[in-house]
Amino acid sequence: MPWRRLAIIAFIIGPILALLAFGFTRDARYITSPLIAKFATPFTITLFDGRKLTLDDLRGKAVFLNFWASWCPPCRAEARDLEAAWQKLKDKNMVFLGIALQDTDQNALEFLKEFNVTYLNGKDEAGKIAVDYGTWGIPESFFIDPQGRITYKHVGAIRAALVMAKLEEAAKGIVSAQEGRGDYQPIR
Amino acid sequence: MRTMLLRTLFGLCVLFALSTSNLHAAPAPDLEDRTREIASELRCVVCQNLSIADSPSEMAQQMRAVVREQLEAGKSPQEIKDFFVSKYGEWVLLKPKTSGVSLLLWVLPYVVLVVGVIAALWIIRRWVSKKKSAQAAVSAATSQSPVDRAWLKQDLPEPDLDDNSAKAQLLHNRTRLKNEISELEFDFQSGKLSDADYNALKQEIETKGMTLHQQLDALPPEPTLKAPKRKSADQKLPPDRNRIRRWQLVIGGVFLMLFGLALGVMLTKSVRPRESSNDTMTGDFLTGTNSPSGETRAALTEGKQAFARQEFPKAIEAFKKVLATDPSNPEAHSYMGFILIQAGHADGALMAFDRALSQAPNLPMALWGKAMILYREKKDFAAAREIFENLLSRVPPGEERNEIAKVLAEIPTGGAQKSQRASPAPNAPVASSSAQISGKITIDPKLKASVDPNASLFIIARPAGAAAGPPLAVKKIDKPTFPLNYTLGQENVMMQGTPFTGKINITVRLDKDGNPTTRGPGDLTGDNKKNPAEVGTKNVDIVLDQVTK
Repeated sequence: MPWRRLAIIAFIIGPILALLAFGFTRDARYITSPLIAKFATPFTITLFDGRKLTLDDLRGKAVFLNFWASWCPPCRAEARDLEAAWQKLKDKNMVFLGIALQDTDQNALEFLKEFNVTYLNGKDEAGKIAVDYGTWGIPESFFIDPQGRITYKHVGAIRAALVMAKLEEAAKGIVSAQEGRGDYQPIR
Repeated sequence: MRTMLLRTLFGLCVLFALSTSNLHAAPAPDLEDRTREIASELRCVVCQNLSIADSPSEMAQQMRAVVREQLEAGKSPQEIKDFFVSKYGEWVLLKPKTSGVSLLLWVLPYVVLVVGVIAALWIIRRWVSKKKSAQAAVSAATSQSPVDRAWLKQDLPEPDLDDNSAKAQLLHNRTRLKNEISELEFDFQSGKLSDADYNALKQEIETKGMTLHQQLDALPPEPTLKAPKRKSADQKLPPDRNRIRRWQLVIGGVFLMLFGLALGVMLTKSVRPRESSNDTMTGDFLTGTNSPSGETRAALTEGKQAFARQEFPKAIEAFKKVLATDPSNPEAHSYMGFILIQAGHADGALMAFDRALSQAPNLPMALWGKAMILYREKKDFAAAREIFENLLSRVPPGEERNEIAKVLAEIPTGGAQKSQRASPAPNAPVASSSAQISGKITIDPKLKASVDPNASLFIIARPAGAAAGPPLAVKKIDKPTFPLNYTLGQENVMMQGTPFTGKINITVRLDKDGNPTTRGPGDLTGDNKKNPAEVGTKNVDIVLDQVTK
């Protein structure tokens, strides 16, 4: 009789405790993207040098798309890594494209100058590209294969070695189901 | 008449056309309301549990603009919500869908509520019926026949504990049965036993009691016989309730202890000071989130001590350990930066200082390191000056501040352009040919095929007799072409103020990964065959003739 009672109590309390433990393992702020392995939404962006660029122009190349802002510390942390990765990959069939979010032209340009960024960069004026890519943290990076499919997403600062490895995978069309994570902060 | 009718009809048509065209031209009066209605169902992605209609964040404004734009484009509310779900997943909906797994969220609370009500009713009913039957049983027990209860009432002496006679054994059993029956009464009255269980157990004990009483009567006055074998009969007795209760106590105690331990750990974790914005309430206890532990702090201290003793490999190991558990530790990044400066890897050092400053924008040591690289290596005087001035405003008066002021005074004014080679600082030692070593570096013809075109060449100078420790001077040349003429002088000295004089051993390494602190397979090395060389010597030629395995 008492054992039966204990079993009933355990049956009721067990799932509640398991649910609580599961809750502790989750980051409530984190939003898992449904975009992996889907085709990247096309967009047109005006680069800081005045040229217009569409995503379709980059079809046939592996694309590294990076959302950043000059006010975001993790973006500062990754800036030199990204430029270093670009210097190593620029002669291959790959493109780096930076998209500044929620930033002023002046601050964004100063940032690019400070970190000697030489790859393509533009500004998402109305934040529509950010919404199209389900952006919520910053920096966020997307890897797109030559067919235009998103192969990998990384939320937070990323290292040069990972950029190079994932871009090589993107060039081959290899999709990573698991998102990468680094230091990030929510956008404003 | 007909003409008049036609005119009137035409006039009405014109009026209708004008009114409808006005309707299309003016903004829909309810557009804002419809935008707000849809926005109130979409979760803001940057603020917790607020809809984009209520959130003041910039992102919410941008999302609202997208909603408005799609409404204007003629999309239905469902299509707009589906659009946001396709970008952010169902997380973005404040009201989860009523299909698939999300259906559970809607149904489960009601199921739990119904089950809870049923369970509560059942328990209350059982409790009430037990009370009634307990009262009935008590009255039945009091009206029991005197013959049945005679064995209970009979006053018999308690046997000695060490008495093993048959009578003593029977008396022991009798005492136990008496205890059992009183416990049974207690359990029944407190509602722990059902009527059926109570009656069955009571009857069993009564029967045993009667048998035992008869056995006692049948014994001779002073029995000396051995104790009868009653073990098998004892085993058939109902389970010992005291033992079960002890088990309950043990389980309860263990549960309380575990609960206390969990509470103690969680509480201390939750009230401890947070080390950074990424540090969670539970730290790495459940989520695996890294938070600086005592071990990390110890590694940081160890690294600093090793750095002070100039034991750089040990310091690197310690700082790597710190960064493995706390990848954004600004102090560890700063020290790694200083070590990279020592090794002549200015770009790597700059990266390290930037990482440190991204976490702690005003960390003096990182500001100092970055400014020194910009000044000495990158010759970006304007940026260096700006950082030094910032640093000067933060450091209190003292030796360090004087040092900063001294370096600031050394920086040439007007040399604000990046990559502009500046003249040496007034107090900096001027390199002259007499304070240099120069020569030519070539590659062994057999190894020409092994040369990596992207490798970096390190020319390393160590004082004669010093086989280990940081080099006296290092020069790094990216993507060199051979044969290569080189000079090494005071400007390549790693520790400021150390003179580049005396006898020096020169070695060179063509490093594939460009990292001076690591030597990898395939790196080519060579040394001056006439080591050591006196500073001022020319034609110190070196051949890269060895391959690292």
